[in-house]
Amino acid sequence: MSALLEVTGVTKRFAGVTAVDTVDLSVGQGEIVGLIGPNGSGKSTMVNLVTGDLMADEGTIRFRGEDITAVPAWKRARLGMARSFQMIRLFRSLTVSDNLLLAKHAGMETTLGDSLLGRAAAREEEERLRVRARELLAWFELDAFADRPVGALSIGQQRMVELARGVIADPTLFVLDEPAAGLSPPNVDRLIVLIRRMRDEFGMAILLVEHDMRVVRDLCERLVVLDSGLKLAEGAPEAVTSDPRVVEAYIGTGWKRHARG
Amino acid sequence: MKAGLSLIIAAVFIAAPFLTGGYELQVLMVALLYVTLTTGLNLVSGYAGQFSFAQGAFYGIGGYTTAIMGRDLGTGFWINLPAGIVVTGLFGLLLGIPALRLKGHFLAIVTIAFQTIVYLGLIQWSGFTGGQNGILVPPIGEVSLFGATLVDITGLTAHYWLTLVFAVVAVWIAWRLVHSRLGREWVAVKDDETLAGAVGLDTTRAKLTAFVASAAFAGAAGVLNAHVMRGVTPDDFTIWISCTIVAMMVVGGRGTFLGPIIGAILLTILPELTGSFAQYKLFLFGVLLVVIIIALPEGLVGRWRKIREARA
Ligand SMILES: Nc1ncnc2c1ncn2[C@@H]1O[C@H](COP(=O)(O)OP(=O)(O)OP(=O)(O)O)[C@@H](O)[C@H]1O
Ligand SMILES: [Mg+2]
Repeated sequence: MSALLEVTGVTKRFAGVTAVDTVDLSVGQGEIVGLIGPNGSGKSTMVNLVTGDLMADEGTIRFRGEDITAVPAWKRARLGMARSFQMIRLFRSLTVSDNLLLAKHAGMETTLGDSLLGRAAAREEEERLRVRARELLAWFELDAFADRPVGALSIGQQRMVELARGVIADPTLFVLDEPAAGLSPPNVDRLIVLIRRMRDEFGMAILLVEHDMRVVRDLCERLVVLDSGLKLAEGAPEAVTSDPRVVEAYIGTGWKRHARG
Repeated sequence: MKAGLSLIIAAVFIAAPFLTGGYELQVLMVALLYVTLTTGLNLVSGYAGQFSFAQGAFYGIGGYTTAIMGRDLGTGFWINLPAGIVVTGLFGLLLGIPALRLKGHFLAIVTIAFQTIVYLGLIQWSGFTGGQNGILVPPIGEVSLFGATLVDITGLTAHYWLTLVFAVVAVWIAWRLVHSRLGREWVAVKDDETLAGAVGLDTTRAKLTAFVASAAFAGAAGVLNAHVMRGVTPDDFTIWISCTIVAMMVVGGRGTFLGPIIGAILLTILPELTGSFAQYKLFLFGVLLVVIIIALPEGLVGRWRKIREARA
C-alpha cells in the first residue's frame, strides 16, 4: 500500500540558494511525522512545496495516489490537504466563525448559485455549518469568540483558530508549520493534547514542523531532519535526536535554545 | 442609528418629486445614478479588494450599447437594458483577466489604461460611435403591455422615479451578493489571497465575478443615463468620472455597505451647494480625497463603525 503523501526527489531553488535539495518524504495514513532542522534549513519551503504554495523545480509529489506536482494550492486543499502558517494567517476583517466557514466553502453540497438565490437548502447547510463551527470552537475552547473579529483574539487563540480552520475541512493531511511558536508553556501542553486528539478522533495524518523538541518528542512517530536543504536523517524520534550528525548540525544554531522549549 | 440614517435618506428621495420638479430633482437623480455606480464599484474594490479606475468606462459602454442598438436596430430601452448589462459584464470579465496576475498599483494602472482605451475608442471609431458628437438617444417613452399603456416615461419626474427604482434594486442586489457565500469569498480574497487559496477557494472565480458584477452595475446605470440625458458623448465617460466614483466610495468608506451610498449622495450634492465653486468640483474632490485618505482612511462610515466597535 502506498503512503498518503509521497514526495520524491523534490528540489526548490531561490536565486543562489537551494532551499530544498532532492528530498524524499512520506506520510502514511493517520501518521504524525515531524520535520525538524535548524533555522533556514528548508522546512517551511518543504511545507510550501507540499501544499502547493510553491512549485517544485524538480521531483514529484503524490497525494492519495495522485500525482499533484503541478496541481495548484487551492485544488490540493480540495483533495484533502489543510495547513497552518508559521506566521499566523487569518481573514482579518471577518469573524472567527466566518473564518471557519470559508474553509468549508469548497466542500459544501449546495452551490454558489443556491446561496445567491437564497435557496432554503443553502441557508440550512450554512446553518448546519455554523453549528459545526461552534462545536469545533468549543473543542478549542473558543466558542465564546465565534462572532468576534479574529483580531480581537490573543496570539494563542489565533493559533487555535488556525487549527480549527484546518479541522473543519476534514482533511486527510494537516500540515502544521510551527504551531507552538509564540505559545506559553501551558498552552504548548494544551496544543500537544489537541493535536493528538485531532489525529485520534478525526483520523487525519499530520506533518508537523516544530522547533519545540518537547512537542516533537511527545507527538511524532517518525522524524525527518533537514539541514541546508538536504535530508540529514530520518527515523524514530529517540534515534534521530541522539544521532551525532543531527547534534552536530544543530551546534551553534540554537539547538539548545529550542531543546529547552 | 444606521437604520435611522437609511430611513432619512429614503424619505428625502421619495418626497423630493412631490416638492420639486426642477433643477433640485435633476441633481438628486444624478445622485441616484452615482449610488448605483459607486455601489457597483464597491463590490470589486471595497469587498474584493481589487483597484479599479474604470467604472466610468463601463458606464459609457452601457450608454453606447443602448445608443447604438437604438440607432442601428431600432430597439428600445427594455431590450437594450439587459443587452447593455451583458455587454458591460463581458468587458468586466475582460478587465478581470489582468487582475488575476496583477495587484495594487499595477492593477490600478491597467484599469486606467482600459478606461483611456475605451474613451479613445469612443472618439476615434466615429463611424460606429458618432465620434466627439456622440449619439442622440430618445427618452424611454411609453411602457405598454398587451397594447395598454402603463406609464409614460418621458418627463423628468418619471425618469427620476425610474432612476430611484434602479438605485433601490441595485442596492438590494448588492446586499444579496455581499451577504452570500460569494461576498464572503470576495472579502477573503481581499484579506489574504494566499490563505484563500490554501483553504480551497477558487480565487480566480471570486475575482472575475467581482469584476463582472461591478461592471454590470455600471452598465445598467449607463443604459438608463443615456435615455435620461437624451444622448451619449465620449466626454461623459472620462477618467474623471471614474475618479469621482472612486472618491465617492473612499470618502463614504470602502468595504462598508452604506458608505459608498452616502459618499455618492454627499459628493453629488455638496458641489451644488457651494454655488460658483462648482466649477472647481474636481479640485475639491481631489483635496477631499487626500484629506480623507490621510486622516480617515476607512471613510466616514468605516470610522463610525470603528468607534461603535470600540465602545462595544
Ligand atoms: N521566497 C524566498 N526567496 C528567497 N529565498 C528564500 C525564500 N524562502 C526561503 N528562502 C531561503 O531558503 C532557505 C530555507 O528557508 P525556510 O524558510 O524554508 O527555512 P526554515 O527551515 O523554515 O527556517 P525557520 O526555522 O527559520 O522557519 C533560507 O536560506 C531562506 O533564506
Ligand atoms: Mg520556517
